[in-house]
Amino acid sequence: MRRAQNVKGWLFCTPALAAMALVTAYPILDAVRLSLYRYDLRHAAPPDFIGIGNYFSVLSSEVWWQALGNTLLITTISVFFELVLGFALALLMHKAVFGRRTVRSAALVPYAIITVVAALAWKFAFDPTTGFVNSLLGVDRAWLNERWSAFGVIILSEIWKTTPFMALLLLAGLSLIPDDVLRAARVDGASALQRFRLITLPLMKPSILVALLFRTLDAFRIFDSVYVLTRGAHGTESVSVIGYNTLIARLNLGLGSAVSVLIFLCTLAIALLFTKSFGTPLLRTGR
Amino acid sequence: MRIRFAGMDGFLGALGSLLVVTYALLPVIWIISLSLKPGRELGNARFFPDTLSLEHYRTVFNDPQFPAALLNSVGIASIATGLSITIAIFAAYAIVRLDFRGKHWIFYGTLAVAMFPPISVVGPLFELWRTLRLFDTWPGLILPYLSFTLPLAIWTLTAFFREIPWDLERAARVDGATPSQAFRLVILPLVAPGIVASAILVFIFAWNDFLFAASLTSTDRARTVPVAIAFFTGSSQFELPTGSIAAASVVVTIPIIALVLMFQRRIIAGLTAGAVKG
Amino acid sequence: MGVYRLRAGRFFQVNKWPARISSRCSIALLRLLFLLSLGLPVWSCRNPEPVGPPHLTWYVFDEPSGAFREAARRCTEFAKDRYRIDVVSLPADADQQREQLTRRLAAGDESIDIIGMDVIWTAEFAEAGWIREWPMRSTRRASAGRFPITVQTATYKNVFWATPFTTNVQLLWYRTDRVPTPPDTWDEMIDSAEKLGRNGRIQVQGERYEGLTVLFVSLLASAGGTVLDAGGQQVSLEPEPTRKALQVMKRLATSPAADPGLSTSREDQARLAFETGNSAFMLNYTFVWPSARQNAPDVAANMGWARWPAVLPGRPSRVTVGGIDLAVSTYSRYPELAFNAAECLASRDNQRIAAQRGGLPPTVSALYNDPAVRRRLPFADVLRAALNDAVERPQTPLYADVSLAISRTLHPMRDIEPDRDTTRLRKAVQRALRSEGLL
Repeated sequence: MRRAQNVKGWLFCTPALAAMALVTAYPILDAVRLSLYRYDLRHAAPPDFIGIGNYFSVLSSEVWWQALGNTLLITTISVFFELVLGFALALLMHKAVFGRRTVRSAALVPYAIITVVAALAWKFAFDPTTGFVNSLLGVDRAWLNERWSAFGVIILSEIWKTTPFMALLLLAGLSLIPDDVLRAARVDGASALQRFRLITLPLMKPSILVALLFRTLDAFRIFDSVYVLTRGAHGTESVSVIGYNTLIARLNLGLGSAVSVLIFLCTLAIALLFTKSFGTPLLRTGR
Repeated sequence: MRIRFAGMDGFLGALGSLLVVTYALLPVIWIISLSLKPGRELGNARFFPDTLSLEHYRTVFNDPQFPAALLNSVGIASIATGLSITIAIFAAYAIVRLDFRGKHWIFYGTLAVAMFPPISVVGPLFELWRTLRLFDTWPGLILPYLSFTLPLAIWTLTAFFREIPWDLERAARVDGATPSQAFRLVILPLVAPGIVASAILVFIFAWNDFLFAASLTSTDRARTVPVAIAFFTGSSQFELPTGSIAAASVVVTIPIIALVLMFQRRIIAGLTAGAVKG
Repeated sequence: MGVYRLRAGRFFQVNKWPARISSRCSIALLRLLFLLSLGLPVWSCRNPEPVGPPHLTWYVFDEPSGAFREAARRCTEFAKDRYRIDVVSLPADADQQREQLTRRLAAGDESIDIIGMDVIWTAEFAEAGWIREWPMRSTRRASAGRFPITVQTATYKNVFWATPFTTNVQLLWYRTDRVPTPPDTWDEMIDSAEKLGRNGRIQVQGERYEGLTVLFVSLLASAGGTVLDAGGQQVSLEPEPTRKALQVMKRLATSPAADPGLSTSREDQARLAFETGNSAFMLNYTFVWPSARQNAPDVAANMGWARWPAVLPGRPSRVTVGGIDLAVSTYSRYPELAFNAAECLASRDNQRIAAQRGGLPPTVSALYNDPAVRRRLPFADVLRAALNDAVERPQTPLYADVSLAISRTLHPMRDIEPDRDTTRLRKAVQRALRSEGLL
């Protein structure tokens, strides 16, 4: 019986596993291979094996380090605000008596919108000629032409788009907290703040960590909004933009693959860091 | 005292709800109003249009680029959704219903794939598609889309399947239903909403993709909506295509929002289920 | 699972739809999706092969006056059913144009026939095998009467690849009411701008992009240097001229006459700033003239033009040439017709139309005597003189990388240290030539 289940189980999972391996594992291995060659489609010359030369080029380039810094900056700031705002939103959705359905529906809207479209909406909003932001604030400013304000707009569009998702994840966690515990604490005279700090937060730790991990990894690969808002100009490139520019805009497949592999390793490192330092009991599948 | 608190809470809650709704809808309303401004008003920096005009919608649909991209997007995203949901149903069923060794391992694998940065595979795929002549074709996008649609589908379906009282099927059989009746009348109505919600989520993800579509397509043959909008050159020669971009954005946004609002409840369940299941 | 149930029960009890309707809806939608996914592949197998004469597709940047479409229309008419030319507009930004084209060409896209190729792409496109050699027998026709420098941009490794269509060089634009005679050298210009004080700003392109490379290459050439050696394989960047060019950039950027927005200024920002009236000098292309006449008539009334200032006294400036050449894609299904069409598009008449309507300077030098062209380009003589002395940007398949290396190293201009950056620049360009520069 158990044996039969084993066979059947794997049989059912094979198509999924095979498909995922085909479109991720195989290409990433191929990227590792390509990254060891000097291979530029702009030369008719065949690929030339150069070992880790491409990695040396990338790691010794200030461009890579600046992009990595930018990406980490965007990731940290946007994930921080998403967590805070997301928590507030989750509490609101948890408490709301009126219009609960409306709030939830509204919260799903940013999530459902194409990232490119959202980024374009912000771009037009902050544009000095078409936008309303300048006249609203009474300033005259080319937001996207200056490094820090451009970062501001990028981060804003990122926060806008993903805070609701964060809130929904946290809401799911909030709903796991038994009401009677909170009520008991209230009867015992705990203030709202104390209840939040001593009961809600610890009980929510797992959901918070999962939400953080998801969003951090997702923010780290940020591409669409940066590409639409600045195309990486004014020192706002993210690592994915660098990868795209090298691979697709300049067709330098060798060097670009080295960038891709490094981005992949960064993602792995972030995931490991999270699981090692916090432990993520939630990712268990056990029933 | 209690009543006053409740009133206060209610007021704050209503205020908060209003804030949330404004926050969520602001860019949407902005892009809608931009799309309705006539060309000469685009530069007036006002939030709402003074006069309404449908000229940008006409422009967008008269330009060959956009309808082609719309067709490509609908086609590619639907096929990718259908394919990944079909494959995922089997995997999710196995994970929920069958007890076999290495199950956790499969789940971890799926999780890892979900976190995968797409930029890491774009280069080799570009190279491979060039040689396989899959560049700028529908399959050339559908296949890479599986890398993120499959994990999502497996995930949400697993969560939905966990909720289903599978024993009902046996009960129906005991009551005299044939296997096909039991499946059709008992199980299908139970799983269908979950499948549809997962399908919508997956569809949104495929619909949203920009990186793969920007890298692996080049013409109206397979270019999808996000890329078409981002690279819009405009068909009118005298104006910035701002208005056309806005109109195109509205056209691709409204149906998705409608769909999401219709299945709001299920989608939220699907979205959050992956994360929380002790 | 228990937990999940609990949550589901607590949270989703506010279900306004009865469960049965919801699931019936879902099943219907499921069927629809299934049918769609079956039907669409069949639908997508449509094959839109138009009947009639072959359609040649011309990819070229979006020209707002419609001169390019007019040229395509005229040539289609002229071809009398041998072919039709369809214009496909590329984005306005040159980097984006290149990105879209190269991606298609790298994938062997057959839908491109004629390419409106920026003069800096010749080496890259030729080396990658994306464009066809121009047929020997019509080379003479395709280059006849053109400025030698424009023919040079279309030539790579002694092979002629494209027919020169339009060209462009920067001129010095100045305020005749504030500066009686245009300055001869950069130092003179900065001196006189500083003397003018508040109304003496100088507008140049200082953003980190192609325009900054153009500025540097023009300064370097005017100082007697080149970026690469004649073969295009090795870095040249002679120390003396390079240092001189960097000194000029540094002096300009740290001068009170520099625009505060210098580090983000492109051609268009420079134009807009000049039109506000507080600038005395601007280095820019000829499009600024019609624009100023339309947007700022009082500025235009006092607007003079001259050749770019020299770097070394007594040695005329040499500026970089721009513009587009028309090439034929390797993957075109109708190469013979495409060469024919390209030749027609770049003909003298069509160049005249492009000049008259769009203000695009022709590559055929005789047109600078044409009254209609001179009406539209009153600075035709200065333009011709500048074109006769113009230089091209480094011809290498890795030009895009080389240019990025230059603009990245020299941005922002105020932080340039001429001695240190002469070395840094050399290193950066070297890396780019080895396709190592991740830029």
